[in-house]
Amino acid sequence: MKRRVLAVAADLALILYFVFALFPVAWMVILSLKPTNELFSTYFSFSPTFDSYRTVLGAGGDQGVPFVRFFVNSLVVSVGAVALSLAIGLPAAYAAARWRFRGSENLMFTLLSFRFAPELTVVIPLFVLYQKLGLFDTYVGMVWVLQLVTLPLIVWIMRSYFSDLSPELEQAALLDGYTRKQAFFKVALPLVKPGIAAVSLLAFIFAWNNFVFPLILTSSNAQTVTVGALSFLGGDRPKYNLTAAAALVSVVPPLLLALTIQRYLVRGLSFGAVKS
Amino acid sequence: MTRPAAIGLRSVHKRYGKSTALDGLDLEVAEGEFFCLLGPSGAGKTTTLKTIAGLEEPDSGAVELGGVDMAGVEPYDRGVAMCFESYALYPHRTAYDNLASPLRSPRHRLPAHEARERIGDIAELLGIGALLDRPVGRLSNGQRQRVALGRVLVRPARAFLLDEPLSHLDAKLRQAMRAELRAIGSVRRTTTLYVTHDSVEALALGDRIGVIRDGRMVQTGTREELWHRPYDTFVARSFGRPRINLLPGTVTAEGHFRSPDGAYELPLTVPAPPGAAVQLGVRPRDIGLLGPGKGSGVEPAGTDRGTALELTGTVHVSELLGRATEVTVRIGGQQLSLVVPRADAAGLRPDRPVRLSVPPESLLLFEADRPARPGRRIST
Repeated sequence: MKRRVLAVAADLALILYFVFALFPVAWMVILSLKPTNELFSTYFSFSPTFDSYRTVLGAGGDQGVPFVRFFVNSLVVSVGAVALSLAIGLPAAYAAARWRFRGSENLMFTLLSFRFAPELTVVIPLFVLYQKLGLFDTYVGMVWVLQLVTLPLIVWIMRSYFSDLSPELEQAALLDGYTRKQAFFKVALPLVKPGIAAVSLLAFIFAWNNFVFPLILTSSNAQTVTVGALSFLGGDRPKYNLTAAAALVSVVPPLLLALTIQRYLVRGLSFGAVKS
Repeated sequence: MTRPAAIGLRSVHKRYGKSTALDGLDLEVAEGEFFCLLGPSGAGKTTTLKTIAGLEEPDSGAVELGGVDMAGVEPYDRGVAMCFESYALYPHRTAYDNLASPLRSPRHRLPAHEARERIGDIAELLGIGALLDRPVGRLSNGQRQRVALGRVLVRPARAFLLDEPLSHLDAKLRQAMRAELRAIGSVRRTTTLYVTHDSVEALALGDRIGVIRDGRMVQTGTREELWHRPYDTFVARSFGRPRINLLPGTVTAEGHFRSPDGAYELPLTVPAPPGAAVQLGVRPRDIGLLGPGKGSGVEPAGTDRGTALELTGTVHVSELLGRATEVTVRIGGQQLSLVVPRADAAGLRPDRPVRLSVPPESLLLFEADRPARPGRRIST
């Protein structure tokens, strides 16, 4: 009897939590489906329409906001930032995991410290620099500045993956006649693939969600969805329905990525590599 | 001038942080020799192999291969193959691809069909021919260990470094592989340094054996040398099951060995300073059983009967070891174990008197053990 009461209570608590957690999302969905004239009604009956989505994706009348372009910008900038971070970060993480050199810990800490400091502390000097260097509102500039977000993440997480790998695997490769570079590419790298998948996804989401850097360092050419979605709020009347639709559309790529990569997020590939 | 040693370590030191792994290790393995390195865990066996392979840099001292100093030579240029105790198999590949790894590397590349043939031969030899398609994650420990050994044997090498390569096989297979290992053609031709903590393996396999302890080589020699002339009690204890009897006592003024409670005295063939604290070593299989004793007391032995010395004690326990029996005999306050044919021990009952014969040439005399230093053998 007591157990049943507890079970019901647990279910109730869970339902309450779901309502709490999903309400903002539900609100966004509802908002995005409302026609403009019913936007500020607080009751739930309205005539749903996909007009907002049509407008946001550029099919309807142009609202002066090239959202599709922002969307492409976000993709280019985020993928670019993750790719660059992987190219630099994987060898760095490997070196940090395998060798203690002078200052290696300081270097790692410095890298981590990029994540402590609020982006706002550096963004004004960066703005001035970017203006002078001609990096303002460019893909290169955005990919570069997003390294502050993605690189520390990739280096720190991948270092722990490489540390978990027995160095004897690469040592065996060296004795098989492979160079250190080949041992890295043929042995170590394939074994941390699940880690690479997981950390790439995480880095992509962080890059995609970044707001402050595109807000200050881009204007129109390289602006991303996070800033772009807010453009609908400007003008004489804030169009919350368009912003909601834009926000929901911009959730799609990270969500799709997460679903496709899910399989890799489960570790366990290296089972049996080394006698425990 | 003879040919340079295939493997030579000269006073190699290696520390990891505060702990010393190798403390001035010297080692010389001749060309084509099968050398067994025996020692307890933590003695520095694996570090020795890794230092030779170039995977660990010695803090001081030199590593030579074929007489050439290997300082600064990369592992892949040293031409040695190593079988890791952890197997170190590539977990994302099949058994076949693991075996093929050295034959696909830039340094030992073979054309694919030759490689396939070679891998087939080795796999057959190791009894893993049917497992080649499996990912190594789906192999048992014993199977993985054989794949790891195979990865060493498929390729030509100036030396094989084998780190406990049979330790995870089941008893029957281990015995079979031990017998076969030395007969494998490539092993016969190649200098092999074999690390083990199993003295039976070392005695069975090694042309020569080195006993290592706390990062130092205690003694190297043939199995006969180590058996009959052990450097100290540590080496003596390392070989033989049941272990050698080490009886503490003192040297009398006449140069006899005397047990602490005076229960017996034995004449010694080696001169020892009177009054010195010593240990008498005698292997269980060297002691013979003469039959039941006359009285229940302990009679001082040492009377010459032919050449064998005679001791009298009482039976403590006896334990069957298959065809032989291990008998533990009490002499005064000391216990002595001996191994005799099962038939000889048939009539023994606990607490009955018994007479033992000890050939004087089988007696070994050691200094008393000191903390952190086993007693050295006293010889003429």
